[in-house]
Amino acid sequence: MRTARSFVYLVTSLLAGPVGLLWTLATTAVTTIGAVTALGAPVFLTVTWLDRRLATAERRRAALVLGSPIGSPYLPVTGSGWARVRQVAAQPATWRDMAWFVLLFPLGLSLGIVAVVTAAVTAGALTAPAWAWSVPERNAPPIGQHLMGTTGGRLLLTLAGLALAPVAVWLLRRLARLQVTVAVALLAPGEHGRLVRRTQELAATRARVVDAQAAELRRIERDLHDGAQARIVAAGMTLALAERRARTGTAILNDVVTARRQLDNALAELRRLVRGIHPPILTDRGLPAALSALAADCPVPVTISVGLPERLAPAVESAAYFVVAEGLANAVKHAGGSGCSVTLTGSERLTVSVSDDGPGGADPKGSGLDGLRRRVEALDGTFSVTSPPGGPTRLTAEFPCAS
Amino acid sequence: MRIVIAEDLLLLRDGLVHILTSTDHEVVAAVDTAEALLQAVADHHPDLSIVDVRLPPTFRDEGIRAALRLRPSPVLILSQYVERTYAAELLADGRGAVGYLLKDRVTALDDFLDAIERVAAGGTAMDPEVVRQLFARNTNNQGVATLTPREREVLGLVAQGLSNSAISTALVLAPVSVEKHIGNIFAKLGLPPSDDSHRRVLAVLAYLNA
Repeated sequence: MRTARSFVYLVTSLLAGPVGLLWTLATTAVTTIGAVTALGAPVFLTVTWLDRRLATAERRRAALVLGSPIGSPYLPVTGSGWARVRQVAAQPATWRDMAWFVLLFPLGLSLGIVAVVTAAVTAGALTAPAWAWSVPERNAPPIGQHLMGTTGGRLLLTLAGLALAPVAVWLLRRLARLQVTVAVALLAPGEHGRLVRRTQELAATRARVVDAQAAELRRIERDLHDGAQARIVAAGMTLALAERRARTGTAILNDVVTARRQLDNALAELRRLVRGIHPPILTDRGLPAALSALAADCPVPVTISVGLPERLAPAVESAAYFVVAEGLANAVKHAGGSGCSVTLTGSERLTVSVSDDGPGGADPKGSGLDGLRRRVEALDGTFSVTSPPGGPTRLTAEFPCAS
Repeated sequence: MRIVIAEDLLLLRDGLVHILTSTDHEVVAAVDTAEALLQAVADHHPDLSIVDVRLPPTFRDEGIRAALRLRPSPVLILSQYVERTYAAELLADGRGAVGYLLKDRVTALDDFLDAIERVAAGGTAMDPEVVRQLFARNTNNQGVATLTPREREVLGLVAQGLSNSAISTALVLAPVSVEKHIGNIFAKLGLPPSDDSHRRVLAVLAYLNA
């Protein structure tokens, strides 16, 4: 099959080569003429637009050999008129496409002919007994007359074909490989495109991180305001009344007990908040210990398997911790399942996954999961949630963890 | 005194109701939204409304905005933080009968009860923290710079809304000395002398806020 696809690729190149060359010559002429008229910009944009369609078809054709199409190298273009022209012209991909169409003609033609000849000779030899009798023998050299004219000779040809076949297969694949390597070199996203894309990606994740951080600070402020701070004020009020009562000699034991309880609650609230910001055990003992503590607090049974090299970067440890914490919290809240499993593996890249045996159907756009995604992306990681109806739900986060 | 309370945190709402009722005040309504506050004030015409800054639904400054709509009805804002901007907005109409205190101040019960009496009577009660912020923005002010440390102390208490007698008690000064200090301060800041203590506070706050 691979050989057949390689062959198809080489043969179609025979056609694509001339089309590409003619197209390039024609468009170069049209664009050059267009450039001196008022229609320069629209002509250039139309031509490059079509150019890109053709090049994209070429990228798809390469899938015959590669298995999947070559990635698109184009960067988004904005504005209109000459601003657009400048942007298109500044993209190396525009000119690399053109280079490919010029190169495809000689390359496609030569490799295509070799491919066709190879295939034809091999196929001919293999099938010699079926057709050789019909060839007039008169002008053939004696050795040819013998091979084609006698049954033995024809069978000999078949044997030669069989011997030749593996070589032909190897050659066809090799040629297709060669051509597709050149195609990849010119049509795949180059360093420029890769860097631009990377920059855009980083700008987007950075913006999301800043948002996430601001939201997190707001949450902490709210929690303090409505939680510990309010409880301490309430305790103060209780004591203020007690003070007043004490002056008149009334018993104040109840007030003191109440105030103490309110202060205890305030402390518990602060501890909970601190743990949500950064669990102290994570700093002290690292991820395995922090996760065991998390599992111990979880109302459903959790199995944890950690295969990690000693300590990781603090940011990675913290993000991994919160992925697990949120995963377990969700599992308890929604899944109602009978158990969860947490797995951490990796040395170059850390993979964290949390899965439960609940009914699934989690919303990956939910605010908790979205916050986690931002946190993971900030560390150049990837975050995914699979939660088909019927379950199981599985959160997976992957980070680079070179520390 | 008949009081309406608007506070969304149940714990603090109950605490306030408890304190006020056990000090012989009547809480005619204790609500948890700005909407309900406006309704309650319209229904009960209280002597004073005690309002939290942060109320549902957005938990931003609903309380301040509701308080401004309630004016000139006496309002005491109680909050867990103070912002000079909010103080300026509350004082802008120059009518008095307004207060802005940290919730912590409730625990100094006598001072707090004194403050609610003052606001209900048309006076002013500004938190020491608000006054500190006002002084901080006036560090380069020519007039304030000429004040002696004692005069600054007195000015701080005047700005909080304290009466002459309260100031003399707080600083352990003879009432005559307090009057003398206040006379000097007003002269140095170029403010018109005034015997009305409510108007005096507003003049000082307006000066510091300018």
